[in-house]
Amino acid sequence: MRVDPADSLSEILPAEAFGHSVPASLSAALRTDVESVVAPGSPEEVAALLRWASKTAVGVVPVGTGAHTYPRYPSDPFVVLTTSRLTEIGHYEPADLTLTASAGARVGDLSTAMAVHGQWLPFDPPDVPNRTLGGLVAAGLSGPLWAGYGQLRNHVLGATVVCGDGRVLKLGGRVVKNVAGFDILKPMVGSRGDLAVITSLTVRLFPLPAVDRLLIVEASDISELVSTARAIATAPVMPASIVLSSTSVGGRLLVRLHGVSDSVGADQRRLEEHTSVSFDIRNVYELGDLLEGERDRDITGEFAVRLWALPSRIDELLVAVGQIPGVNLTADVYGGSVRVYLPDNLSDIKSVLMRLREDVENLGGTIRALRVPAEVDAFSYFTKPLVDERELATGLKQVFDPHGVLWRVE
Amino acid sequence: MTRPLPSAVVSDLSEIVGRRHVITDPDRLLVYESDGLTAYRIPPRAVVLPASTEEISAVVEVLHRKGVAVIPRGAGTGLSGGALSTPGGVIVGMARMNRILTIDPENRIARAQPGVINAHLTEATSPYGLYYPPDPSSQSACTLGGNVAENSGGPHCLKYGVTARYVTGLTVVLAGGRVMQLGGVGRDPYTTLDLVGLFVGSEGCFGIATEIEIRLLPITEGVRTLLGIFESVESAGRAVTKIIASGLMPAAVEIVDGPTIQAVEASVFAAGYPLEAGAALVIEFDGTEAGLDLDADRAEGYCLEEGAIEVQRATDPEHRTKLWRARKKAFGAMGRIAPDLLVQDATVPRTKLPEVLAGIDDIGSRYGLKIANVFHAGDGNLHPNILFDRQNQKELELVERASKEIMQLCVDAGGTITGEHGVGLDKREYMTLVYGPAELQAMAAAKQVFDPDSLFNPGKVLPEVEGAELGVAMKASTVS
Repeated sequence: MRVDPADSLSEILPAEAFGHSVPASLSAALRTDVESVVAPGSPEEVAALLRWASKTAVGVVPVGTGAHTYPRYPSDPFVVLTTSRLTEIGHYEPADLTLTASAGARVGDLSTAMAVHGQWLPFDPPDVPNRTLGGLVAAGLSGPLWAGYGQLRNHVLGATVVCGDGRVLKLGGRVVKNVAGFDILKPMVGSRGDLAVITSLTVRLFPLPAVDRLLIVEASDISELVSTARAIATAPVMPASIVLSSTSVGGRLLVRLHGVSDSVGADQRRLEEHTSVSFDIRNVYELGDLLEGERDRDITGEFAVRLWALPSRIDELLVAVGQIPGVNLTADVYGGSVRVYLPDNLSDIKSVLMRLREDVENLGGTIRALRVPAEVDAFSYFTKPLVDERELATGLKQVFDPHGVLWRVE
Repeated sequence: MTRPLPSAVVSDLSEIVGRRHVITDPDRLLVYESDGLTAYRIPPRAVVLPASTEEISAVVEVLHRKGVAVIPRGAGTGLSGGALSTPGGVIVGMARMNRILTIDPENRIARAQPGVINAHLTEATSPYGLYYPPDPSSQSACTLGGNVAENSGGPHCLKYGVTARYVTGLTVVLAGGRVMQLGGVGRDPYTTLDLVGLFVGSEGCFGIATEIEIRLLPITEGVRTLLGIFESVESAGRAVTKIIASGLMPAAVEIVDGPTIQAVEASVFAAGYPLEAGAALVIEFDGTEAGLDLDADRAEGYCLEEGAIEVQRATDPEHRTKLWRARKKAFGAMGRIAPDLLVQDATVPRTKLPEVLAGIDDIGSRYGLKIANVFHAGDGNLHPNILFDRQNQKELELVERASKEIMQLCVDAGGTITGEHGVGLDKREYMTLVYGPAELQAMAAAKQVFDPDSLFNPGKVLPEVEGAELGVAMKASTVS
């Protein structure tokens, strides 16, 4: 059965909600063609759509831009709900360091508005300027900067969400400290749309650092940099981020220091003493391009996974990854996660993934799919939730999406 | 009079933890009849003190099988009645769950039992150059398990965040004694839903955290503490706004008002503050030594621009302790002014502080109540302290009415009813000020996922009326 939104939804959504498109990459992520896209313009319209979907047993796939959706299988039939019409900046009070915006607002646009006041949202996952705020939060993505600023989930102060059955919930608030009631906002962050559709968010902002310095060390073999990277991660200095990445000629370690000029200079000297390494320092003009290039590397690639283990085991993760020919990687050394970019033409993909999963899970870690080729099942080769966690997550799914309109809980 | 537990149940519990760790003597139970909020007193039927996850699991299994409500309790320092027993309930105390299990400096994590005192964790990890940032005022007595239950904060959470930021994994005992593992720093945090984040701050209503995995931070190299004396709270508040808007990131920004200063100076905690001062502003910066003087200079300049009478800067640890004294000892000193003290807790957007403080002053005047303010000014977390005498029934009623008005005032300003003390029993009725039926129902349903029969700390957090509809009303024990 195919859903024709013009026929089925024209009575509950205005004409502006129709005629929208999503990137072709979304069809690849969903493993099926996207035929129906609707763009509600308010929480009420989102609620109307979800109530309709609950009654008609049609699945709803919520996306921001649709360019960053993880590989999953929607129910059949389904419609894609894009937040592209929910783009308003609702309330921005720079003196409070808080911002409320609709879920479809682009992070890049928000950053422009915040920069005027010397503020920012200090998260740097791949392609962050082109993500929507709702997509960023639904994916729970912090990027390597979480070393210095904490994870995104701790800076989401409030949200309006629409549950799978159309209930609208206003969760949290717009103050930094708030322990009123059970924190049912927390499981929304990183839930990837399993529980509800986020329609607006209030987030905590930070002052832009006066100095943003990048320290660089390069080597002909990435493994030569691991011990230095770990020494920095355990030094009595708190860098904003520590990233280790493969390059065409070996490896590169990027350490970002934030602060005022005096403190950043002192931090650099302490790190040099601690590691006995002399860093190359880049100025701010080079820094922007270099960091963006590093952050956004391979975002159009077809095949990427994320590994995670105790930070002290990152050397072992890299050994496991190093056995796969032609891979590139970016490691968040402080957090213990590694993005692995695999070649599209990898032979015997399934056995490679099975071996990688075994290696990672033997380290007590996890492997998740970010983008996988169509022939790879989106679940089979990746770490399952703990049995107990899955049971609780399924219970919560029932609370927020009782008819199973949104994604299944993995 | 509370009904004693049947001897067979006492016997079963004693078999698990030893008879001396099952308290049933009414005189000894008096210790547990309230928490830090002494306005409410309900003696439990018994107190059980297990010493391991396995013992907690077995104790919960016995009690839940008999339909007896379990109330988890750390040190009992909470200020919202959260660790208060339910009629017919049994308190499961964490006093013997007081071991730090592992310290892993390589990964900057520790694993601890819930009865470990907050300050003891930093004492244990400081030889490794690491510390645990959340620092509630009661940190020398409160426990990590209590901090998890309340999602506790403290003065330094302005820069470093509250408990939830540091809890990476939990072992929990849920309904019927089932033991579960949630999260863990070595796993992708979004392999499933953020269950750890949901459990933190659940006020003992979801289950008992029996092992807590905690992220640690490196001890900062230097600290600068400033004390600004102002003629009024308003001018101190304007200085705070200027400091934060300038892009400075202090570790803590605290204000004590004139009545509090007078109480402290009249007590054994006197710190030498001028009695005529309208407010004292404590500002602290920490981090790399090299940048701190510059930050402190800028903050001092903003204080002087806003009319500070004087600004002192700590030059050594003793001086720092002295500058903090009025803030840290404020609650103890207020005992000199009135026999009873209701410590309120609410948060407003920082920019709303001046109008909310004026409103609180007005409420105090209208009800003829003395209200002294101590607050975390940097994040808008207010603690209006209402001074009263509980023997005066009429005054007690006025305190309740004034409290509700203060809560409404804060909510109307875009704030919330509690920033760090929790809802507990005390603020259940205020929950409807910030949430509608749909949100409250969703919270109740989330609790039922963890605790389907509502046998963990029933009657807390969710308001009674809605609670009754949702099957989470305070329930008496069904055991005969």
